[in-house]
Amino acid sequence: MVKGIISRLDAKWLVILAAVSVLVIFVVVPMVFLVINSFIVDGAVDFSNYRAVYSKIINWTALLNTFKLSLLVMILSLIISFPLAWLVGRTNLPAKGFFRTTFVATYMIPPYVGAIAWTQLLNPSVGFVNTLLVHWFNLSASPFNIYSMGGLVWVLTLFYSPFAFITISRALEKMDPTLEEAARISGASPLRALFDVTLPLMFPSILAGGLLVFIAAGSCFGIPSIVGMPAQIEVLTTRIVTYVYMGDSKGIRDATALAVSLMLVANSILFFMTMMLGKKDYVTIGGKSTRPNIVDLGGWKWLAVGVAAAYGLVTVFMPIASILVSSLIKSYSQPVTLSNLTFSNWLPVIESAQYIIPIKNSFITATIAATVSTIIALFVSYLVVKTKVKGRTVPDVLSILGGATPSVVIALALIITFSGKFGLNLYSTLAILVVGYMVKYLTMAVRTISASLSQVHTSLEEAALNSGASWLRTCKDILLPLVAPSIVAGWFLVFMPSFYELTMSIILYGSKTKTIGVLLYELQTYADPQNASVLSVLVLVIVLVGNLIIRKLTKGNVGI
Amino acid sequence: MAEVRIQSVIKQFGDVKAVNDFNASIADGEFVSILGPSGCGKTTMLRMVAGFERPTSGEIYIGDRLISSGSNGIFVPPEKRNIGMVFQSYAVWPHMSVFDNIAYPLKIKKASKAELTERTNKALGLVHLEGYGNRFPHQLSGGQQQRVALARALVGEPRLLLLDEPLSNLDAKLRESMRFEIKDLQKKLNITVIYVTHDQAEAMAMSDRIVVMNQGVIQQIDKPVNIYENPVNQVVADFIGLVNFIPADVTPDAIRMPSLGYTLSQSSSFTGKALASVRPEHITMAKQGSGLKGVLSHKFYLGDSTDCRVKIGDEMIRVIDKAGSYQDYPDGQTVYLQFNKVSIFPQ
Repeated sequence: MVKGIISRLDAKWLVILAAVSVLVIFVVVPMVFLVINSFIVDGAVDFSNYRAVYSKIINWTALLNTFKLSLLVMILSLIISFPLAWLVGRTNLPAKGFFRTTFVATYMIPPYVGAIAWTQLLNPSVGFVNTLLVHWFNLSASPFNIYSMGGLVWVLTLFYSPFAFITISRALEKMDPTLEEAARISGASPLRALFDVTLPLMFPSILAGGLLVFIAAGSCFGIPSIVGMPAQIEVLTTRIVTYVYMGDSKGIRDATALAVSLMLVANSILFFMTMMLGKKDYVTIGGKSTRPNIVDLGGWKWLAVGVAAAYGLVTVFMPIASILVSSLIKSYSQPVTLSNLTFSNWLPVIESAQYIIPIKNSFITATIAATVSTIIALFVSYLVVKTKVKGRTVPDVLSILGGATPSVVIALALIITFSGKFGLNLYSTLAILVVGYMVKYLTMAVRTISASLSQVHTSLEEAALNSGASWLRTCKDILLPLVAPSIVAGWFLVFMPSFYELTMSIILYGSKTKTIGVLLYELQTYADPQNASVLSVLVLVIVLVGNLIIRKLTKGNVGI
Repeated sequence: MAEVRIQSVIKQFGDVKAVNDFNASIADGEFVSILGPSGCGKTTMLRMVAGFERPTSGEIYIGDRLISSGSNGIFVPPEKRNIGMVFQSYAVWPHMSVFDNIAYPLKIKKASKAELTERTNKALGLVHLEGYGNRFPHQLSGGQQQRVALARALVGEPRLLLLDEPLSNLDAKLRESMRFEIKDLQKKLNITVIYVTHDQAEAMAMSDRIVVMNQGVIQQIDKPVNIYENPVNQVVADFIGLVNFIPADVTPDAIRMPSLGYTLSQSSSFTGKALASVRPEHITMAKQGSGLKGVLSHKFYLGDSTDCRVKIGDEMIRVIDKAGSYQDYPDGQTVYLQFNKVSIFPQ
């Protein structure tokens, strides 16, 4: 009996310990090392790199641009997301499910693919939209130029506003509608109820959603480099990558100084947000689930549908259509007709090793990252949801920390830590890519699996133990089958962003370990935008299939 | 005058008629409960009076004012109806202090600061929450939040108070004491109350009249005593209190119950197949004597009463005694039953 308990504990604690160690080695150590390394050289404190970096006006401009962009994108995202979330959550808008999916759809498109699409649409000389508008309205010049601060704000907003939309929607769903009704019956008009009750109650969620957008926009590399660089608009991430690309140790040191600054800002916002939300998270779940007070839009209904549909058309349909057409078009200067379309652009992508190897690399690294992450996520989730151990949330917090840290920072930290200093040289290997993807996306798997695990009542597990099964046996026979769909969903949630990852890959790849994201970026920036479109279509198809699988498995509860 | 007239109100959700042809007149100062199982349409009816749902057809008047009409599209929004309402989930705003919660309706009406303070404090006193004004809802118990909700509903001195299962989230003891408090307040303020509940004891204790609803349709509107003593149909008899149903053949001067082998002399205007209904407390039981012979199968001692099951043929008859007369009856005892009051529901 005693022996049984001990062996049960052993198995349990060994696996959990293993999961925690992996997290410590790959999340904590590199980040701590990055920070230390930024001001200690050969054992002596040395701030010369900070001085170097912050004495250059271009870096100050980049810093200012980053802040300006993030703020504008945050505000714009909130202005767009709140009405959309309200329409979907609280009104009798027709086809709500469809619109809900549409409003978060840009979330699953890789940001740089979106950026490529919008450069095609709003390129000042040959953009599809510009050409059309010039043609329709007989304009003398293109009305839009994507290569501008405005263009950058536009694309960043489209791709990061789903963060705000999702956060606000969830809060709206969670809020007891009778709180609003109580205001109405107290004499408040619908608008007054919105300002006196709904908005104050939702404020923490609105702020949280906004700050998520702020961090995401500020940490983004793909969009600013594709849309901003041609207009000489630099941001922190593009500066960091430029420094890394100098290739010498001074470049790395300067990059580190900037990266630490970025990390401090991003992580302190996250910390502040957690503290504030923890305090102010109102419990607003009612006694019984009343029918939510659905606002009858009346005559405005069709206008609302029109606005929602137009938003979906512009933000989702147009970019995807543009990518698709670009991958098939023969000549940009000719109008888009069937005779001007061809599949011949697709051939080199399917045949040439230049394309096959990166695609293969991305498949291998994403598969390994997803599989290992899922396994670790299982133990982390178990620890958080099913045990009462002190410090059980530590691995979960570490995974969140990894997910919230800007990708450029993670990549830089990994380079510094794992290029032989600690006897582990992963530089230019596929392994360092795998580690990067895991650090960044593990939290996706943990969220999904722990949500599902918390639905499994502990008594189910206890009943198996009581029937004589060991802990491992209980996991295999009871827990795993019950959470299996979330495991697969979690796997895809890591696989997909890893597969098309750009920011970390562009810092971590070596000559033999190029990935699809890097290849796409190179094609778009230097060589062949058309083949970039072909590859983008491929990425979009994989993302679409992955999301369909996730939706099916989780019955629509989870998705990128 | 806050009498409420509800005329031929129908509420349809898709193909389902949640409320079907609801007709009722509630007098000024009357306390009326709408009672029924969950999903019977009682909350929907209340929400139509409040203005959170629009009737598909029919009219609702408060006083002489038509506030909702399905046919000609008249609809006064909730904020213009001058109604107080207490929600099941209390709906006390977590971001406002107790004082601010209660003062809100006055703030909307742009009451002067002095008046607002005075009336809010009066409302606090009314629900025995003096000194709690600066607290926040999360610092209050469920019962206290309930009182805040009640004070907020009353502070504007509405003509009509609506209560949607206000006590169902409280524990049993508190629930009972709140019944009397709400009733007291209603008498003191002399306002009209519509009270929705699925708890018959609550409805019985507080109401002047009860509307029993089932599947969207009103079954009976009457005083509590009549609802209990003279239910108009099987549904009401079954929902209110406990009842034994026995298949019966009714002749002008007798009720035959073949499954019990028993005939009761009772004159009746109805003849034919029926269901006889007898409340367990309307049956007396003796060890000897005349009456219906059966065997005491088992009994449950419940403190304030004894709940007995008597087997007669294939029927199991429930007998409840509050006097403690059957304490010494062993299981298996042969007993003789007297039915003191039998209702007949034609089949």
